[in-house]
Amino acid sequence: MKQKKERHKLITLCIGLFLMLGVSLAHAQNNYTISGNVTDKINGETLFGTSIFLEGTTIGAITNEYGFYSISAPEGSYTLVFSHLGYKEITMTVTLDKNQKIDIEIEEFSTQLDEVEVTAEEPERAILRKPEMSVSKLNVKTVKQMPVVLGEVDVIKSLQVLPGVTSNGEGSSGFHVRGGAVDQNLVLLDEAIIYNTSHMLGFFSVFNADAVKDLKLYKGGIPAKFGGRVSSVLDVRQKDGNSKNFALTGGVGVISSRLAAEGPMFNNRGSFLVAGRGSYAHLFLKLAGEKNSVSFYDLNLKTNYNLNDNNKLFLSGYFGRDVFDFDGSFSSSYGNASGNLRWNHIFNDRLFSNLSLIYSKYDYELGIEDFEFDWISSIKNYNAKYDLKYYFSDAFKLDFGVSTIKYEFDPGQIKPTGPDSAINELQLDKKRALESAAYVNAEHRLTDNLTAQYGIRFSHFNRMGGQPLSIYQNDQPLVYNPTLQFYQRADPISETIFKKSESIETFSNFEPRLALAYQLNDYSSVKMGYSRAAQYIHLLSNTSSVTPLDVWTPSGKYIKPQLSDQYALGYFRNFKDKMYSLEAEVYYKTVDNRIDYIDGSDLIGNNTIEQEILNGESRAYGLELLMRKNEGRLTGWIAYTLSKSEQRTPGDIAGGPGINNGDWYNTPFDRTHDISVTAAYKFNDKWSFGANTIFQTGRPVTYPNGQYQYEGISIASYSDRNADRLPAYYRLDVSATYKPNKRPDKKWKGEWVFGIYNVFNRKNAASISFGQNFETGANEATRTAIFGIVPSVTYNFKF
Amino acid sequence: MKLYYKILISTFLAVNTSCTDVVEVDVPEGPIRLTIEASLDWEKGTAGNEQTILLSTSTPFFDSQAKPSVTGASVQVTNNSSGAVFNFEDQGNGQYTTSSFVPVFGNSYSLEVVYQNERYTATETLLPVTDISSITQSREDGDDDEALEVNVSFQDPADIENYYFLRFQSRNDLLPELFYIKDEFIDGNEATFLYEKTEDEEDNIEEFQPGDVVDIILLSASEDYYNYLQLLIEQFEGAGDPFSATPVALVGNCINIDNPDNVPYGYFRVTEKVESTYTFE
Repeated sequence: MKQKKERHKLITLCIGLFLMLGVSLAHAQNNYTISGNVTDKINGETLFGTSIFLEGTTIGAITNEYGFYSISAPEGSYTLVFSHLGYKEITMTVTLDKNQKIDIEIEEFSTQLDEVEVTAEEPERAILRKPEMSVSKLNVKTVKQMPVVLGEVDVIKSLQVLPGVTSNGEGSSGFHVRGGAVDQNLVLLDEAIIYNTSHMLGFFSVFNADAVKDLKLYKGGIPAKFGGRVSSVLDVRQKDGNSKNFALTGGVGVISSRLAAEGPMFNNRGSFLVAGRGSYAHLFLKLAGEKNSVSFYDLNLKTNYNLNDNNKLFLSGYFGRDVFDFDGSFSSSYGNASGNLRWNHIFNDRLFSNLSLIYSKYDYELGIEDFEFDWISSIKNYNAKYDLKYYFSDAFKLDFGVSTIKYEFDPGQIKPTGPDSAINELQLDKKRALESAAYVNAEHRLTDNLTAQYGIRFSHFNRMGGQPLSIYQNDQPLVYNPTLQFYQRADPISETIFKKSESIETFSNFEPRLALAYQLNDYSSVKMGYSRAAQYIHLLSNTSSVTPLDVWTPSGKYIKPQLSDQYALGYFRNFKDKMYSLEAEVYYKTVDNRIDYIDGSDLIGNNTIEQEILNGESRAYGLELLMRKNEGRLTGWIAYTLSKSEQRTPGDIAGGPGINNGDWYNTPFDRTHDISVTAAYKFNDKWSFGANTIFQTGRPVTYPNGQYQYEGISIASYSDRNADRLPAYYRLDVSATYKPNKRPDKKWKGEWVFGIYNVFNRKNAASISFGQNFETGANEATRTAIFGIVPSVTYNFKF
Repeated sequence: MKLYYKILISTFLAVNTSCTDVVEVDVPEGPIRLTIEASLDWEKGTAGNEQTILLSTSTPFFDSQAKPSVTGASVQVTNNSSGAVFNFEDQGNGQYTTSSFVPVFGNSYSLEVVYQNERYTATETLLPVTDISSITQSREDGDDDEALEVNVSFQDPADIENYYFLRFQSRNDLLPELFYIKDEFIDGNEATFLYEKTEDEEDNIEEFQPGDVVDIILLSASEDYYNYLQLLIEQFEGAGDPFSATPVALVGNCINIDNPDNVPYGYFRVTEKVESTYTFE
């Protein structure tokens, strides 16, 4: 009892301190507030990242994801400036003698003028004063300029030309951030969790560029409002839809086509966007006599409604599906679906709030005709979030909120599809969990040069009952077999059945986040950051590439939450009046409780995953350099990453030496060097060109170190895990965009995009496999290269 | 399941523009080790007295010379239940044979090999195997609706854990088709496994033709042996492809008593065997 009281006192004290701080800051002077929304004049989209400041002062703000801003200043007369790169700057005189609301529309530099200057969007430059670091932002316009495989604009692939982001090569799903695994990235589409970011096993991403407004990747320094993954957060926001007039955009490509419609609705109190995309390559394959087919489609939806000045509703949804059919003998389909209802409410000119109710689901189905059964698996979540931002003063802003996510895992069920099926019906144990969090985060300007962002997130995970759980001798699901020198599954000694009202296990963590920015002068600054993050759900994948059939599993009795600590230090500088910018960062990251899989692990259709894994740890460190040219006919960047990512998995409670004798070994996503150059050149109003080139150290693999004869075949022997490497990866892509029609009065605007992927037709090894030649029996190494040179042409239109 | 998934991936890659080619790769060179292929297979309905154990050493991975046979080792097997000892005689070509072996179900046997003053041992129990219930041919099953395949069925005994090793060897081909089978999803059912070859010009693989002969062997396996086979077969079929697990150092059930670091390769198995031959019509 006494303890409880003490804690209560402590909480009261903390709240009191926060309030005092806020109140003292807010009422230090006779301050007034200007607040409002910033939108695009042409299409009515709200603008994220517009800077608003009072000329001649250090007072300013940046619009949030909903275009809202709020600044406070002492009574007086000021010049208010709205500035967003690529847009015309707006200035106005304001007399600040009361709180006021100023909504403003800003206009993009018109392409009708003979304007050849291309400028990067504001967020892409080095931002000096904000403590935000380790963040990569890309505007969809930039993404669309980059050359792409088969003419399909790909948000995820475009991230891979930024420092610290890699993929496991063509044909592998997901991406890796700072040496982290695919499942360590939190991917959000309008706040809904996306569990698989790929179509066609990684050839395309699930994001339709026509429906996306902007994206932001946090590689570190993750703000306290995000949590649940230890490596990164990719925050993708969909367009709201044109609120001024009806518009159609679309594109016709070799593999797929897309169409988006948007326009005002509800008597101009809202707008909508519907975007669809579908592939049709399978139709050609069918015509060509190919019996196998693969295809995908997806649908994006967004609509919003202005209840009044202070209340706005948003509804967004996504549905995507991949379908495989192999000559009727087996078929597979998988995809994400999500929906989000949001309510923006402005309490007053300083307090902004957003409530979100989110549903998201990922599932797959595999039907095998020969054995007459279907295999079905899914993960679902319901998420409620309430986020608030309080603009205490120009120097102090506070974000705080709560979130709760209910997960439902269905790791798999097998259903016989015919009376003669030899397969028995099976349902693996369904799992349930609740992840809750509360956070508070302050952005605090301490002096004119020093700004801090500090906050804390408290997360709680409840692995709920409603399932049986195997119990093992000494809590050891695995035991080391010293004879065969491998880990083998222990027999459960009993089974405990947990009721739905019981918890199997609970975890809670405090996750402090801290970032500091010190502005050295007008053109350079130093930043540092520390963050701790907890991850409670894990993707089980023992292959070197993540596949759509991998299954998510929650933490519990045998799998502990992953915990990461990351330290980063950076130097940021603009040159030549912001024409060039440089960002340099070093980081060091550790992850506790990173699982790895025992030799011969079998994850498919397995009810007792704890018998396939060992707990370990991982660490990654590196240097990232990014040099950009932001203005002029030629824009682009050079990115270089030098890094190391490794892990260690000792035997732990299972005994024995662990994986790789308990020594550190490379993670499959360790890349020593990663260099990329991306360039866009605007030749004239009709023609523009793009190019990018990538060089990467090869992926770590395990090569054979000998062979012996057994059962009449040659068996390879292997040594240390991931000690060898595939040959280095290198690729150059180019593109050209032609805009034939320049008549300003014509509504229809079209463009042709010609692209060549992998110009040098280099056969980059996606993998090298070893085996015996079927005819001669001699051992040989076989390289699989996925894309050679791939030319493409796409026609895009706007109407 | 895994197998199907692999087919799914590889077919997908084939549908796309992917291509494979044979390349030269520098691979590391590990230590040379003794390989023990001690497969005491008791064919159903026979005395099982004739048995052979093969000893050889490992070689560098791309070495295409004939396997180096091991001579001068002493090899014996003991029945741990009865105490009977069976000596295997060195034939001078890597084969060690006996004609006095006595197989008894449920009995545990120990192998002892002494080679270059190091003693290697292993223990295994003899388990019975269910009979093959039918062998048929068809065209409509398998990946290709027109290619011939051979189907082998057997009845899994209900309510006990069974593990199997199924081996197909076409007499025209060098390489076998291997299956490791666990009755987890098929407990108590009649299970059918098929072997079909799909035409591949690049690898010179041809479909089965009428008249082709396939030797079929079905063995019982212990859980340990099943685990070993699983790793062995997976690595044999697709080591290094992006959708298979990381290949690992594979060690059998033989241990080196005198120098534990110098682990031998291979396995000591004592099993019942059903053997059959099928000729395509």
